[in-house]
Amino acid sequence: MSTVDCLEIIDKGDYAVVEFDLKGEKVNKLSFPVMKRLQEVTNELKSSKYKAVVVKSKKKKIFIAGADIEEIKSVTEESQFRSVLEQAHSIFNAWEDLPMPTIAAIDGACLGGGCEFVISCDYRIATLDKSTRIGLPEVKLGIIPGFGGCIRLPRMIGVMASLDIILAGKSVDGKKAARLGLVDEAVPKELLDQRVELMVNDIIAGKKSKRQKTFKAKKLPNKFLESFLGRGIVFSKAKKTVMKQSKGFYPAPLAALDTVKKAFGASRSKAQEIEMKAFCKVAVTPISKHLINLFYLMEGIKKQTGVSSDVKPLKIEHVGVLGAGVMGGGIAQLAADKNYNVRMKDISNEALAIGYKQASDIWAKKVKRRRLSKFDFKKKMSLIGSSLDYSGFPKLDVVIEAIVEDMKIKKMVIADTVKHCKEDAIIATNTSSLSVTEMAEAHPNPKNFVGMHFFNPVHKMPLVEVIRGEHTSDEATATIFDLSKRMGKTPVVVKDGPGFLVNRLLLPWMSEALFLLEDGMSIKTLDRHFTHKFGMPMGPCRLLDEVGLDTAIKVLKIFQNSLGERIQVSALADKIKASDRLGKKNKKGFYNYNEKGHDTDVDDSMYSLLGLKSANDSLTEEECIERGMYQMINEAARALLEDKIVETAGEVDLAMIMGTGFPPFRGGLLRYADEVGIQNIVDKLEGYHQKIGIRFKPADSLVEMAKNNKTFY
Amino acid sequence: MSRNVVIVEGLRTPFAKAGTDLKDVHPADLGEVALRELIAKTNLDTDLVDEVIVGNTGSPSDAVNIGRVVALRAGIPLKTSAYTVHRNCASALESVTSGFEKIKSGTMDVVLTGGTESMSQLPLIYNKKTTSWFIQMMSKKTAMQKIMHLKNLSLPALLNPKISVMEGLTDPFVGINMGKTAEILAKEFGISRLQQDEFATMSHTRAAAAQESGALKDEITPVFIPPKFKKVVHQDIGPRAGQTVEKLAKLRPYFDRKYGSITVGNACPLTDGAAMLLLMEEEKAKSLGYKPLARIRGYAFAGLEPERMGLGPVYSTPIALKRAGVEFKDLDLIELNEAFAAQVLACNKAFASDEFCQNKLGLSKALGEVDPNKLNVNGGAISLGHPVGATGTRLVLTLAKALKAQNKKLGLATLCIGGGQGGAIVIENMNV
Repeated sequence: MSTVDCLEIIDKGDYAVVEFDLKGEKVNKLSFPVMKRLQEVTNELKSSKYKAVVVKSKKKKIFIAGADIEEIKSVTEESQFRSVLEQAHSIFNAWEDLPMPTIAAIDGACLGGGCEFVISCDYRIATLDKSTRIGLPEVKLGIIPGFGGCIRLPRMIGVMASLDIILAGKSVDGKKAARLGLVDEAVPKELLDQRVELMVNDIIAGKKSKRQKTFKAKKLPNKFLESFLGRGIVFSKAKKTVMKQSKGFYPAPLAALDTVKKAFGASRSKAQEIEMKAFCKVAVTPISKHLINLFYLMEGIKKQTGVSSDVKPLKIEHVGVLGAGVMGGGIAQLAADKNYNVRMKDISNEALAIGYKQASDIWAKKVKRRRLSKFDFKKKMSLIGSSLDYSGFPKLDVVIEAIVEDMKIKKMVIADTVKHCKEDAIIATNTSSLSVTEMAEAHPNPKNFVGMHFFNPVHKMPLVEVIRGEHTSDEATATIFDLSKRMGKTPVVVKDGPGFLVNRLLLPWMSEALFLLEDGMSIKTLDRHFTHKFGMPMGPCRLLDEVGLDTAIKVLKIFQNSLGERIQVSALADKIKASDRLGKKNKKGFYNYNEKGHDTDVDDSMYSLLGLKSANDSLTEEECIERGMYQMINEAARALLEDKIVETAGEVDLAMIMGTGFPPFRGGLLRYADEVGIQNIVDKLEGYHQKIGIRFKPADSLVEMAKNNKTFY
Repeated sequence: MSRNVVIVEGLRTPFAKAGTDLKDVHPADLGEVALRELIAKTNLDTDLVDEVIVGNTGSPSDAVNIGRVVALRAGIPLKTSAYTVHRNCASALESVTSGFEKIKSGTMDVVLTGGTESMSQLPLIYNKKTTSWFIQMMSKKTAMQKIMHLKNLSLPALLNPKISVMEGLTDPFVGINMGKTAEILAKEFGISRLQQDEFATMSHTRAAAAQESGALKDEITPVFIPPKFKKVVHQDIGPRAGQTVEKLAKLRPYFDRKYGSITVGNACPLTDGAAMLLLMEEEKAKSLGYKPLARIRGYAFAGLEPERMGLGPVYSTPIALKRAGVEFKDLDLIELNEAFAAQVLACNKAFASDEFCQNKLGLSKALGEVDPNKLNVNGGAISLGHPVGATGTRLVLTLAKALKAQNKKLGLATLCIGGGQGGAIVIENMNV
């Protein structure tokens, strides 16, 4: 790949336009060769006659997407990073120091290194186009802005606004960028060239010159907060927010905060030294590597089709939802949100109303936060029609079934639905625990039947398990895989089997919580170990409440039947089952719930209900986590290596992160397993097996791995 | 080759007395529900639709061409044209006859027609004095000028808005309220209070029976009420099973307190609702595999004295029958809109009167007696309600469904029109 011509200087007489067009790539990014070319271009311009320089991209919807992550993926030494950064700083500094004013004409994504480049220009004009996003997403990859972003951005738009962008890895559109002062002007896309030319003329006429934009607070409270004294408050407040959001698991935002704080007001070279040090420190952490791997897994999904053949997904316009409840309504909302025509069907108008409410509430929240206009809200609502009969079903391309989890009823409804659909319509079941292959028996043409397992709440949980039944066709799989992506979800193709992938791994962990309670753990401490020490979004008790105690126990019993003796269920389960506690849905579970359904505190009456003596938290944090997580890893080994539920460790990790909120900084369940060491895990499991029970018996495949010194990755 | 126009299918929202369950639903939303569900029910390929025509009288200021709003929200493609028609009480008959003409002429093949109205949402309007105060206010530049202008505001004028529903129901040519036009007919045709109350009671009894038996179910699609969706309106709100003449007798005359006989009980209520029909050229419908409900045989609109507008059906019917090539006596069912019991009964008398038919209509003799068993078999506007811009379509829809249910052939739907007109349409069940 030749990158020599990626940046081209076009002579316009008094001024020059530098055009960025990375040949053979979809996006413009800053790689080593590109940076080298930028250096050449800078040198050439430095000694040129031009009175102004304009930078623009020839790519549609992309200005500069960022630095090339591929290049830093494999870097493990601080010194290697340091030399990269030193070079980048010297190039950007030289660009900043060019004798003539520079203008960035930004249309499309301008992120990370791209954003850091434009803030080393003198002037910026952005378009109001939807594709224009300017920001610094570095912390999302476990690193910090390293090409001067932590230095130039605070100077330019103030500490408060810059922390807002840097610490959350946010990006802003043209309009907001103009309001923040990040760009000088946000203009309609069609007028960009014209406005840039006006600015060039101003520069040539001497009305505008070289500058270093410096932020000036306007109103009094902001003036104070951007002052020497006020900044202290801003920094400490920001730190609290970061700690609350990251629970301290993610070092990058803290490092970025620290860098901004230390570098603010320092000389360029000193500030850059501070930034480089901080960058190198976080960039070599496994956490950053994990986040980058995760990014690649996600990018991989974007390119995949869900099947190995080159079958194309069908074009979907009309989507049906059977069963309108909370789940069905959520699916309908998701589909309509992406402009699919939706038909909901249920057995009563009251049930349909629940579906409408579910959908409406999600959008109403967006309207309240001004993320959606009331006209768009109305438009989207109008896409959802409903009836008690099969009105409109002959037009549907896909029907998603979300009725009661009962094989007999589902089979009946599916057989009935098929009669009202066109021949090639795909029927997908949103079952979480029933066999897709068995259910397909109700479909006269089971190749058009597939599983599409959403997680609750549908609009928040990014994972969809696309379940291939025995007879499911490539076309049906690819279509549902594609539809999931179009609905904004991350699909993972799984084979049929008890609990598919995510629930199969999750349930043993939740089940173990009951044993841990039996052994004297308190609900609160147990959950905190997993949330605050391990990084799960919810502890197992809280999650049991969320899923529904009855549902969880029911599924466990199913697993016992299908997976055998290794699924052990605590005696506490029967006591819960005999009670009226269903968890969050009836506001009675391990926790108390307020009106809004938020948990308030542990419901201590649970202990007496379960016949537990007062908890003494006698087990160590280590034992709790091992008993939960290693069991999960053990089951993952069986699912991946023995039952081939999915094909790669990456899919397991992606599914767990997207479907359960498994802490991304750990890179996923199996990355975590590799990090702990397979032999270690096998040894521990064997110990628990001897001491506690059969459920810890290491899987054959895991033992084999340990013996051969293998890892998941 | 002559082209026939057929009604493939139709659907409406429940009709609800103004101020009740549908009061917060915008008329565009009512129309949307009826149209979207009609499209679903018929599995219509919306690409085939040539035009959408929607009747409406309230012209909500936030949806002035409400027909277009209804069409787009219901899922009609952007490329397809849509417009709104206004012929007062017959706006939704005008939409049907416009569609009929376009198909009959060969201009179009597939037209969606209907009407929608929310009489709950008809606005109050600032009177002239207050309006001009606001306009002056806008021209004031400085804060001081604005404050000074405040003192020019007349509180009595501010608190005396024009009530658009009242204005709409008053004839602007002769200055008489619709209720008063019915009073004129009651007196001229000698219709007693008791006769009116008996008729109103029958309307309720029939509508309630139709609800009970499910006779109306097939023409209604439910409306879900946002934002809480706690309510689902799935049947008409108006019909009262326990209605009696005695109860109605207790009401005081509303329009003429002293000598009048029209009460709110024997007149139709202000109502919210929408109705839609799918019209097609007959061969087109058949080629798409549809089994249409009915064929449109002919229609007519006719004018008369605004103060006797209630007799409109008597003027328009003979013309429609002539155009349809149908004799009055051959009609199996009649839907005659119940604006007022007195007005319906006056029409009946006029239909049967040689003198009236000769003098006023120029016919050789009376059209004939209206058999009460053929008239408004599922009740009418007194019980079901009269959302002005939607009723015309509702009459045709109810008639077509009733013909089908009773396996009868010929039907007439006719209504009186504020401003002194009548509209009538003759349809034929294609399945007998």
